[in-house]
Amino acid sequence: MYELFIAPLTETYFQKALIGGSIVAMVAGVVGCLVVLRRMAFLGDALSHAMIAGVAGGYLVMKLLFSLEAHAPGMLLGSLIAAVTTVALISFVARISRVKEDTAIGIMYTGIFALGVVVVSIFRHYIHIDLMHFIMGDILGVADTDLWVSAFVAALVLTVLILFFRHFQIATFDPIMAASIGLPVLLLDYVLTICVSLVVVSAVSMVGVILVVGLLITPAATAYLLSDRLDRMMWLAALFGVTSVVGGLYLCVWLDSAGGGAIMLFCTLQFLVVLVVAPKYGLLARWLRMRNLIPQQQVEDILTTILRYEKPTPMNILYQYVEQDKGLKKAVLSMIGDGLLVEAPEGFSLTEDGTKEAGKVLKAHRLWEAYLESIGTPQEELHPTAHHLEHISDSSTVDYLDEKLGKPVRDPHGQSIR
Amino acid sequence: MTTDNKFVIEVDHLTVSYQAKPALLDVTISIERDQLVGVIGPNGAGKSTFIKAILGFIKPDVGIVKINGQSAQKAKGEVAYVPQRGAVDWDFPITVEEVALMGRYQRIPWYTSPSGQDRQAALEALEMVRMQDFAERQIGELSGGQQQRVFLARALAQGSDILLLDEPFAGVDAATERAILDVLERAKQAGKTLVVVHHDLSTAAEYFDRLILIKQRLYAYGPPRLVLREDLLSKVYEGRLRIFSDVLAKEES
Repeated sequence: MYELFIAPLTETYFQKALIGGSIVAMVAGVVGCLVVLRRMAFLGDALSHAMIAGVAGGYLVMKLLFSLEAHAPGMLLGSLIAAVTTVALISFVARISRVKEDTAIGIMYTGIFALGVVVVSIFRHYIHIDLMHFIMGDILGVADTDLWVSAFVAALVLTVLILFFRHFQIATFDPIMAASIGLPVLLLDYVLTICVSLVVVSAVSMVGVILVVGLLITPAATAYLLSDRLDRMMWLAALFGVTSVVGGLYLCVWLDSAGGGAIMLFCTLQFLVVLVVAPKYGLLARWLRMRNLIPQQQVEDILTTILRYEKPTPMNILYQYVEQDKGLKKAVLSMIGDGLLVEAPEGFSLTEDGTKEAGKVLKAHRLWEAYLESIGTPQEELHPTAHHLEHISDSSTVDYLDEKLGKPVRDPHGQSIR
Repeated sequence: MTTDNKFVIEVDHLTVSYQAKPALLDVTISIERDQLVGVIGPNGAGKSTFIKAILGFIKPDVGIVKINGQSAQKAKGEVAYVPQRGAVDWDFPITVEEVALMGRYQRIPWYTSPSGQDRQAALEALEMVRMQDFAERQIGELSGGQQQRVFLARALAQGSDILLLDEPFAGVDAATERAILDVLERAKQAGKTLVVVHHDLSTAAEYFDRLILIKQRLYAYGPPRLVLREDLLSKVYEGRLRIFSDVLAKEES
């Protein structure tokens, strides 16, 4: 136990990874909620890729002008500029040409990513950026400056989001209403984009370009399955972000694997588990709801069978006549609960409500038989076909058939319709 | 001209264009208070531009829109807007109560949280549309009519005198349509002016006190019997008028 859980905590690299990762994942989760709800996931991807041009640019400028090597704030500013430029170019292209937004995003971010790659490789003697590091991240090698940058970014972004929570909520949910009460919707969009860029920039050094989007959207999507309020969703997303980092880092130490990969793997598994077990929107809950749903057809069959039997009906008779006998017991129990049936030692009988319902279905059945006969259906098919059709028994259909047939008194078998 | 007591919305010689095509052309109209007003016209007639103009979203080429005597672009929040059902993400993590509370946001300074008074006002608005029992529900769990009523509650919670509704009757069944209309009537009795974009000419005469018939130009504004005239409708709806012949017949009888 000690070896597994406590020993890693005594290592400085692990502590730094844990602290830095948790800070970044927490704020990414919170911002991610708005990204998910606004369907901007692809844009997050674009921002992270475009960054490399900014990092290279920032590196180069600081080096050539001030001869500072790998100046972190310079690269941060560069990536921010690159991210904002990318967004501006995307919306410009999407607005003035017939190219749609998703395509514009694809074009611009690959273009700017490529520019970054080319610049890095041309100036490889000046810039010492490890492209692999950039793409995969290196959470176990978090530097102190990275920690400070991420803490600063987290504080700034969380402050903005908490102060203007209501503004972001309404601008995301109903932008027209937001504009109609005088909120600067466009400005809020830009602020959010800048927040996302900041978070992405501070996270890339830890988990890398490719996985940063996952950190942004997966915890948020996990929380989305569990909450019906935005504030709760944000809390949960932050929590899931942190648990991903903690779980992923242990996984990485135990398996001796890549840090960023382990974190995202844990994060995705976490999502899948919640997807299955979430109480309201989970697959299990959905399956249970479907299973507990008693088909209307079965209910109606039980009702008419008992009505036709004319005395308390034992279970075996129901099994004989009801078409779909799977889950029959459950259906009967639920009908007793709904007050359609009562149980006596000799069998089930209809309550007043049950009789009324059954009468409705039976009337529909007989009208359908009369109708089928009138359109020339062979005698032997009348009953089975009507048996299927009787479940279409809404009042407008029944009234239509009744009118069309001239309000018949008896069905083809001579039984009363009235 | 001291008409601001009688008229809540004044549109004066309004022309709005998109790339040299007029969306609205020389529209002049004054809407009295405490009315249920229907806006009718074919697709692409400029109905949504008209709404945007009242909400103060567009800068007109010529003309002015005044809300309670004040320029629409400055009168932000005086008109409460109820969006079309299709414009809302029903999976959004938000409860009925929170939607109603949004109506109060314009009064809450950015540095504070909603007060108990705001929550009270939101609940009262929900009571007015008889949705108070659903306060804790997520909005996607409601039926279409209930959803529409929640957004009406939000508009009522805004406390504006003017409510703007974009096709509230689209895609709901007849019983729900009645229920919504009932809420609209009560809002009107509470002293609100309601401007409703409406598609169904066959119910327009029954539902509204006044109708606005537009297709770029304003063709008519007044009581339904003066607006739903064959000569006017044939001009506005052109070849599609035959569908509405029963509307006209009903009006004549």
